[in-house]
Amino acid sequence: MVMACRVINKRRHVGLQQLSSFSGTGRTFLGPVKSSKFIVDEERHESILISSVVRLLESLDLTSAVGQLLNEAVQTQNNTYKTGTSTLLFLVGAWSSAAEECLHLGVPISLIVSVMSEGLNSCIEEVVSLQVPIHNIFDHIDSTKTFSGLETCGVSLCPFLQIPSDTGLQKAHDLKDVASPSLTVYNLSGIPVRSPKLFRPQAEDEANKNTLQNPQTLKKSLLADSRCRKSILIHSRHFNRTDSNRWINKPEGFLEQHGAATPHTYRCNDLVELEMGLSHGDHNSMKLVDAAVRLQFQNASTQQGNCTIPFMFDISRIFTCCLPGVPETFSCVCPGYITVVSISNTTLIKELQNQPVQIILIEGDLTENYRHLGFNKAANINTLLESMKVQQDSSEEQWTDYVLQVLIKFNVNLVLVQGNVSEDLIEKCMHSKRLVIGSVNSSVMQAFAEASGAVQVAYITQVNENCVGSGVCVTFWRSIPSDVIDRINILTILIKTEGINLVTVVLTSPLPAQMQAREDRFWTCAYRLYYALREQKVFLGGGAVEFLCLSHLQILAEQSLSKRNHVCSGWLHNTSSWLASSLALYRSTVLKCLANGWHKYLSALMYNTANCSSELGASTVIQQHLQSATDSGSPSSYILNEYSKLNSGIFNSGISNKLEQIPSVYDIVTPKTEAWRRALDLVLLVLQTDSEIITGLGHTQINSQETEGFLFL
Amino acid sequence: MSRLEAKKPSFCKSEPLTSERVRATLCVLKGILTSSYGPSGRLKQLHNGLGGCVCTTSQSSALLTNLSVTHPILKILTTSMQNHVSCFSDCGLFTAILCCNLIENVQRIGLMPTTVIKLNKHLLSLCTSYLQSEFCACRILVDFSSTQTLLCLVRSIVTSKPACMLTRQEIDHISALILRAFLLTIPENTKDCLILGKSIIVPLKGQRVTDSTVLPGILLEISEVQLMKILPIKKSDTFKVALFCASLSGDLSDTGEGTVVVSSGVSLENAVLDQLLNLGRQLVSDHIDLVICQKVVHPSLKQFLSMHRMIAIDRVGAALMEPLSKVTGTQPIGSLGSISPSSYGSVKDLCTEKFGFKHFLHLIPNEATICSLLLCNRNDTAWDELKLTCQTALHVLQLTIKEPSVLLGGGCTETHLAAYIRHKICNEPESILQDDGCTQTELQLLTEAFCSALESVAGSLEHDGGEILTDMKYGHFWSAQPESPSVVDWPDLLSRCGCGLYTSQEELRWSFLKSTRHPFAPQTCLPHEAVGSANNLTLDCFTAKLSGLQVAVETANLILDLSYIIEDKN
Repeated sequence: MVMACRVINKRRHVGLQQLSSFSGTGRTFLGPVKSSKFIVDEERHESILISSVVRLLESLDLTSAVGQLLNEAVQTQNNTYKTGTSTLLFLVGAWSSAAEECLHLGVPISLIVSVMSEGLNSCIEEVVSLQVPIHNIFDHIDSTKTFSGLETCGVSLCPFLQIPSDTGLQKAHDLKDVASPSLTVYNLSGIPVRSPKLFRPQAEDEANKNTLQNPQTLKKSLLADSRCRKSILIHSRHFNRTDSNRWINKPEGFLEQHGAATPHTYRCNDLVELEMGLSHGDHNSMKLVDAAVRLQFQNASTQQGNCTIPFMFDISRIFTCCLPGVPETFSCVCPGYITVVSISNTTLIKELQNQPVQIILIEGDLTENYRHLGFNKAANINTLLESMKVQQDSSEEQWTDYVLQVLIKFNVNLVLVQGNVSEDLIEKCMHSKRLVIGSVNSSVMQAFAEASGAVQVAYITQVNENCVGSGVCVTFWRSIPSDVIDRINILTILIKTEGINLVTVVLTSPLPAQMQAREDRFWTCAYRLYYALREQKVFLGGGAVEFLCLSHLQILAEQSLSKRNHVCSGWLHNTSSWLASSLALYRSTVLKCLANGWHKYLSALMYNTANCSSELGASTVIQQHLQSATDSGSPSSYILNEYSKLNSGIFNSGISNKLEQIPSVYDIVTPKTEAWRRALDLVLLVLQTDSEIITGLGHTQINSQETEGFLFL
Repeated sequence: MSRLEAKKPSFCKSEPLTSERVRATLCVLKGILTSSYGPSGRLKQLHNGLGGCVCTTSQSSALLTNLSVTHPILKILTTSMQNHVSCFSDCGLFTAILCCNLIENVQRIGLMPTTVIKLNKHLLSLCTSYLQSEFCACRILVDFSSTQTLLCLVRSIVTSKPACMLTRQEIDHISALILRAFLLTIPENTKDCLILGKSIIVPLKGQRVTDSTVLPGILLEISEVQLMKILPIKKSDTFKVALFCASLSGDLSDTGEGTVVVSSGVSLENAVLDQLLNLGRQLVSDHIDLVICQKVVHPSLKQFLSMHRMIAIDRVGAALMEPLSKVTGTQPIGSLGSISPSSYGSVKDLCTEKFGFKHFLHLIPNEATICSLLLCNRNDTAWDELKLTCQTALHVLQLTIKEPSVLLGGGCTETHLAAYIRHKICNEPESILQDDGCTQTELQLLTEAFCSALESVAGSLEHDGGEILTDMKYGHFWSAQPESPSVVDWPDLLSRCGCGLYTSQEELRWSFLKSTRHPFAPQTCLPHEAVGSANNLTLDCFTAKLSGLQVAVETANLILDLSYIIEDKN
């Protein structure tokens, strides 16, 4: 065994360059308008169509150490949050160039690391002011107003940076009409309290005051309150609107006010508005997500009756069924479990429908040879046959007969199996009017276990009365016209039971090549909404957050230039090193480089959304905005004001003059900031690496042209 | 037909250290180690070049286990360092760098190996006796009435591992958690001897570092399906526990060699399952609440247990068995035969918890000296590094309980010790000269080699070209900007010494560490009030550093003493 070691940080940092070039491949995936890519495998003559970073990295050769670290970072982000990967990939590139730039300028590595890391921390603290609280969105969900109804109303994809700023207009902009009626109430525990003035009798108001001290009762009263309100206003969008305008949720940390200007206060109390903002232009997917959430909400409301547990969007109970070859317009959402079975089951389904059937759930495979995980089959056991008796059935047949007996005994007509099912068994069951479905998703199993009372078992021998669920209906699912579905020769069925908490989203695509991308896009939207609802807050999107980071860093950089003597030694771990005292010298340089990363991000975003014809043009627009933001004295209030102005500037053509009518663009909070952090962590990790040590290699295994620069031990 | 091959002659090489190749490889190894040293050390990417996982690290334990060296001399070096690291966890790089420095410096002066070895031993004993003496000025006694010293010690360890990718707040958070985890392993009532418990590190990758936490007791990870099957846990004073180390999966454990012949109609699997169900019945009659199995439990047995309101958790793995047995007071059961009631144990409470995306069953013991440190970090390689760091810190805390002293870190101990030895040899060389019969020049040459080896270890803390100074009063380590002019207003340029004990405003005199200077007597006896007032000191583990010093000198002696390498080429 020989070990080789290569210094990767001589003059130019190889690792950072690799990161930049990997990142360049995902540039077009940034922002709402994503261009697809064809990946062609020349050896196998295969090609696939991709439009997401995760799929891109799956198809790239990332065997180099840096490539692997990058892949690992993207995968972790994707596994944890299912979103933010294109931001992550882009920022990795932007910041590795920034770090390289710092190296060229002679900034010591340790200083780059601490200033960049603290700079990003400071950005993350700063953007809290652009958080928009979401509160009790399901308290006043309006069943008449759904996502599809709003579709005609266009949404700006990148509203914040849409038009070049016009300073004259900006100053003339009057905010009083919006800002003055706002009313804010705090209670002691910091939970925001709404003060619905219009539709509440005086007595109740009094009562509410008395309960303010106690968050528990407060919550109840709020819920009671909202129900009562809902009954009054349920059919009036406009009243509902006016009503909600009166409440301004302002818990600490949200929408911080800065002395000079009075910024807008944003809130989001409406599901459709939130979804519109989070769709990032992908209305088709968000429409399906909206429908799925509403189905879940309805289901939860009917299940709970008057129970006051707040509704939580449960993404694990959403299942996607992909039907390639069907036109896109047939995508839809349905309660229950929709799946594709072989066309030979037609008669069986006909017989099973119109009656509730009993169900069992099998966790593993349903084959004779299946044994649970961890079971080691002894290889050396021979069965001695009794002398003359001829065995009539094979053991496989015996087993199949046994399974049938069990199904007959417990009167089970439907078997859902998580793993594979023996073909023979499916055949036999079909003859005795029993449907066996294999490869069922585990969350579907879970949903049926809850709703039907069945208990998942590993073996058919475990089945007893307690394991059998009941009240399940099996029917044909015929929402897609038969001429369309017959063409692709499949049979779709719907299995459901009373109160099942499962929603199937049927995704269709005329091009099978696009099916995966379609599914990925749906999940991206679903997870965006999921995190927004879970965190109960969103960012103002469309580049606003990144712009604030950019201007914040620029201001920090300016400040550290003017206050040179002010040592921010707290920014460095090791305060006794000389680096601490020379921090002030390099701080503004590093912060500017970090800010350049944001600048690049914003230009690429604007260029991708086709708001600007070139990245240079985009860059100029950003520069103008930046100047105005700095001049205004408080970038965050500048953004808040500008944001609404730009929105209204585009959309107030007669529909309404209320700002809330204008769809905003939103972004999710933690997944986004974590993607930033992850990107910077990766860059700094690679920046601090000075050599690559390859273990367990012989001299010969490294290509001769690569040998240069390797040292052997 | 057997074939015989003539044996190749052995390969013998004299004076191995003089060979150019050995020098070159030793130099590369030293380069790798010195560049990784300290809080601003550079990281190394370790991988197999074939798409295996990439480990980014600057820790000796990770580096040394992954370095595969071929030359016997390097093998001696890495093996003895690994040995040190496995015993003390900390100060691995210090040891290795010091050893390389010693070899290099001694080679340069060209003395007889026997003289070198004798003198090195003398100097080493001077060092160790000074470090252990009462008037040692770089040792601090740990005051267990406050957490300050211990927290500084932990923070110094965490700070010195840059590959963990922690921000300042995260370092504070993790350091506090490590200390809390350690304190939870100390039993409340002790009689004669103290038996420490264990902190189990539970991985939770992908989450934010600040989501890490410490809980008393043990966390057993369970799947969501498993969680659904656990009935609402009934309230009770204690929960009776049975712990199995035998597999309950229902396979035939060991059929040995050859074949087993059974007549048809007999199912061995069913026979084993029957036996398992009998076992289940016994557990029911013994009123067990919780069954934990190291390996797999047969689904049928699980179903049976669950029907009788028992919680069954399987596949907990070998690593958790010892803490589980300790926490619950059970004897792990190794057979499916009858169980003696004495092997059962109990826990005080049970609950289910969710962290990140993982579900856990939390076992809360009656008397806790076992705790779980739920550790989060953003990516895998940083998590692995953080885990190693936590293990090191926990081990160092254990060593510190045994020997309640810490050494000043940040290079100050090394420079101070070098100054002390220089002064001592300059003023009282007689004792050594008498014993060894070497000349005064030889002694001075070697002392200089030894002391500069120590000082270069301290100098390795600097990676960005800064200058290193030492003050002429305490002999501490100071760092200054690169290319500082020799006559400047030092107090303004410098802030604090490496360990953070002294500030530059004390009217000190400084000189460059590399320049030659007259031996001076560094002030001994650490004033007590100085330590009390200073917070945020950089500290090192006393035991680990002392042993590192010894291992380094002894390994260097061993390598310098080599005159032949004989390799069997067969």
